[in-house]
Amino acid sequence: MKKSNVAMLIVFLALIPLTLFLGDKLPGKGYYITGVLIIIELSVPFFMAFERRKPQARELVVLAVMIALAVIGRVAIPIPHFKAAFAIIMLTGIAFGPEAGFIVGATTAFASNFFYGQGAYMPWQMMAYGAGGMLAGFIFIKNKIPKKPWIMAIFGFLAVVFWIGPLLDTSHIFIMMPEISFATITASLASGFPVNVSQGICTALMMLVFGKPLLEKLDRVKQKYGMFAN
Amino acid sequence: MKDDAFSKLHPAVNLLFFIGAIAFGVLLQHPVYLLAGIFASGVYYFFLNGRKGMKNILLMIPLFIFITLFNPIVNTRGVTVLFTYLDRPYTLEALIYGVAVAATFVLMILWFGCYGKVLTGDKFTCLFGNLAPSLSLLLVMVFRMIPNLLQKAKQIIGVRSSIGKGTAGKSSIKDKLGSGMTVIGVLTSWALEGSITTSDSMRSRGYGTSKRTSFMVYRMTKIDWILSFIMLLLLGVVIFFAANGGMNAEFLPERNITPINGFNVIGFIAYLGYLMIPTILNVKEVIQWNISESKI
Amino acid sequence: MEHFRIENLSFYYPTSKDKKSLDNVSLKIEKGEYIVLCGKSGSGKTTLLRHLKTVLSPHGKRVGEIFFNGVALNDVDNRKQSSKIGYVMQNPDDQIVTDKVWHELAFGLESLGCDQKTMRSRVAEMACYFGIQDWFHRDVAVLSGGQKQLLNLASIMAMQPEVLILDEPTSQLDPIAASDFLNTVRKINTELGTTVIITEHRLEDIFPYADRAIVMDSGRIIADDTPRNIGRLLFEQNNPMFTAMPTPVRVFCNANGNGDCPLTVREGRAWLNKEFETEPQISGIPYKSIEEDIKNPALSLKELWFRYEKDTPDILRGVSLEIPKGSISAIVGGNGAGKSTTLKAICGICKPYRGKIKVFGKAVNKFKSGELFRNCVSMLPQDPKSLFVKSKVSDELAEMTKDKNKINEVAETCQITELMNNHPYDLSGGEQQRAALAKILLTEPKILLLDEPTKGMDSFFKETFATILNKLKSQGITILMVSHDVEFCAKYADRVSMFFDGQVLTTETPQKFFGGNSFYTTAANRMSKHVFKNAVTAENVVELYRKNKGGTV
Repeated sequence: MKKSNVAMLIVFLALIPLTLFLGDKLPGKGYYITGVLIIIELSVPFFMAFERRKPQARELVVLAVMIALAVIGRVAIPIPHFKAAFAIIMLTGIAFGPEAGFIVGATTAFASNFFYGQGAYMPWQMMAYGAGGMLAGFIFIKNKIPKKPWIMAIFGFLAVVFWIGPLLDTSHIFIMMPEISFATITASLASGFPVNVSQGICTALMMLVFGKPLLEKLDRVKQKYGMFAN
Repeated sequence: MKDDAFSKLHPAVNLLFFIGAIAFGVLLQHPVYLLAGIFASGVYYFFLNGRKGMKNILLMIPLFIFITLFNPIVNTRGVTVLFTYLDRPYTLEALIYGVAVAATFVLMILWFGCYGKVLTGDKFTCLFGNLAPSLSLLLVMVFRMIPNLLQKAKQIIGVRSSIGKGTAGKSSIKDKLGSGMTVIGVLTSWALEGSITTSDSMRSRGYGTSKRTSFMVYRMTKIDWILSFIMLLLLGVVIFFAANGGMNAEFLPERNITPINGFNVIGFIAYLGYLMIPTILNVKEVIQWNISESKI
Repeated sequence: MEHFRIENLSFYYPTSKDKKSLDNVSLKIEKGEYIVLCGKSGSGKTTLLRHLKTVLSPHGKRVGEIFFNGVALNDVDNRKQSSKIGYVMQNPDDQIVTDKVWHELAFGLESLGCDQKTMRSRVAEMACYFGIQDWFHRDVAVLSGGQKQLLNLASIMAMQPEVLILDEPTSQLDPIAASDFLNTVRKINTELGTTVIITEHRLEDIFPYADRAIVMDSGRIIADDTPRNIGRLLFEQNNPMFTAMPTPVRVFCNANGNGDCPLTVREGRAWLNKEFETEPQISGIPYKSIEEDIKNPALSLKELWFRYEKDTPDILRGVSLEIPKGSISAIVGGNGAGKSTTLKAICGICKPYRGKIKVFGKAVNKFKSGELFRNCVSMLPQDPKSLFVKSKVSDELAEMTKDKNKINEVAETCQITELMNNHPYDLSGGEQQRAALAKILLTEPKILLLDEPTKGMDSFFKETFATILNKLKSQGITILMVSHDVEFCAKYADRVSMFFDGQVLTTETPQKFFGGNSFYTTAANRMSKHVFKNAVTAENVVELYRKNKGGTV
């Protein structure tokens, strides 16, 4: 990351305590607004880093392809509740690094909302999906961990159950629950757990079957057209 | 509904409206204000979605009841104990607060539903085209690719079945998963190969040679400015009364709800007026049409 | 003054170091010229065109110089090149970047950083000039292929280029959309004086208006002359490119005609008129009429009715058709008439709500799942890419069967033996079509359905493809194709059916069918109608010409 980007990150992180302080004074379910603002403050530095980098045409197109695939993945697989999005997002992170993973994740959530209908949980989706892509990018950076299908499958399962899923479930606390307390947090996380496990299994399956071919396809495009070669 | 008068306004005005409506929807827990919110969002939601919208609104009733009844379980404060279970009290105050929580939830769903119909993808990207040119272009490209990929997916599924490799007659998850993966695989290859042409086409049309500008197909007209002004004014009034405690409502541990009387009525009228702007615009348009038609 | 000057340009792709893709090409292009570049696929046309714009130039070793307006192209900055040199590519879909028509029109101007006022006026101008006001606010996804390509052209013209380069722009379009598009290109050339450099299969629509035709072969320019002279030149050189010439040119040269070579049907008629001032002795060629009563048809459709959704109009409105065993049948007709839907109905992709489909006398719904596609019916889709799932042609074929001998046999029939190790996406359009055909032949079909098989193919690939089809026919396979390509159907089909308004109206032999039509027929027929009765291909016309002229030639 560039120095200026780090500076930006610090500025935005400093805004968070301020938001928390002011948000505490809001009446009613003001914590929903606080939550949204904090998510925005967390993501804006990454988005701005992407903007400043002035991405190449080829990079933009490939990211757009991955996002579009993640959005419509569930149409292609004729199994109800089977989400292909997590695996596709994480594979993008694995192939192109944490930043691309975050952008693809967050934008997938954002675009899905235009496609399947808007909901109040959209900021949480953006955060969770983006964080998932970013984590995948960090874990598999510089080929330290081999990109074998079964390793990616285990990673995919764990990431969905213990990272993306819980991040998504926090939205329930802000939207459906009457207050933020230990009871509501545990209730939200516990109620989401079975769904997360089933999505984790789906993701692991996707990684096993689809992981290697997708990485090969991305490699082919990378090599054939010299993409992301900087 | 295709001809919603509010959707014809500048996207910035649309966005401002929804930010106000949703923010105050979650902030104001006063029952009368919640009722106003549900009423205004419900009417507009129905207008935008027609009969299907009515069905969705009715579907929210069980959700409403569930959240209401669920609240006293996680929330044991309150003075009037209705009954106890597993040594935990189930209180009237928590139940009433549950109604407020459920109402907030429902009005959020409704407002977000309206927002999705009004602020379509192209409007949104238009709005942020200058602020975040790369990201909004990325989003525009995604919107372009989605229908394309969907059509292609259908085509591939058809072709696969016509060489005897479809899912028809196969019911096991393994088969379905396998064929789903193949379809996604073909889709990926096809889209990635196509992306090379797309990026050539972008660079050939000067992408990356200068700082991008954004073509605004929407223009701020007089009515847009006037409405923005009215909206900000009404929001100002609402904030003023809210800050002075005119809209306070407390449920736990004891009920303490500020009555709407005297000056506080102004705050309520401002709030309701604000929320009804889309509906008022639509009603106005219908009336105008009828008048001009009767003149013909 | 010249617009482009190319001096001794040679180019090698990194993958084939010893083979020159461009071999010492020198060329001058004047301002306002309309130039058509012809050659087989793989002759270096696209490589040459791409060199005319720096961002599109392929990577590889390059020798020689290119000048744009007298300045070395590499020294012209990208911004200027972007607006001054417009480039339209083959695939209408992939070139479009944004989701709305208005946004696509503005895309180039946005990239150049134009201000609102300029953008507004330019976009409005273009929308009017190209007649796209009516669909200005539409989603790109709902446009037809022809509209999409027109949009691509308009969005490039919005940047006001001096040169327009078009690389097979109509290969993915149906004939009507293609000639609309080419008319617009001609309009731009004549009304705005924009230089046009185009490669195209449909030379009929271009030759009459082009200033020069340049022929390439193996990376070299082998001919550069006016369209009127180029045909004779190629004919005398016995160049295979001659087969791609417009029908009047081919007839004229093959018949050893005297005087100016006709380029259009009108000129062709005038020339034939002069040649045959009195009625010719032999005015038609003999042909067999089709059997009315088909015994044991391979395929029979009875009164099929179909619509896509409950509240949309019917696409099939009582389609009835019988196909005899071991024949090549063609269904022709306009766009969106339901031709492709008929094929889909046979394959069970669409389910007609009324009517019966019988394959070898057995109703299709009586076949168990998948049984219909084993050893019975197979369809070659319009886009061969939708069949490819692997990263090698050999793996594609192995997906269908384990039998090595069978694979080799089919690969030989389809002439793809040398391509077995390639990635399917690296093949040219015609090669992809053959690889896809090989793949579906491995289901050992007795009935082969082809959906627009010649789309995007050049004349050589068409001939190769036709040889393969004839070979399959001789093996007893029944072939039913749906096509816009009347020339191909006239030449190779045994039976032609006209599809209109959701029904099959008539079925005839090509000679009788096209011979009887005056509009919906081949160029050869339109050109010779007033002299010969049923000459529907250039070969027919030449044959009759020779028979009649006999000793006089």
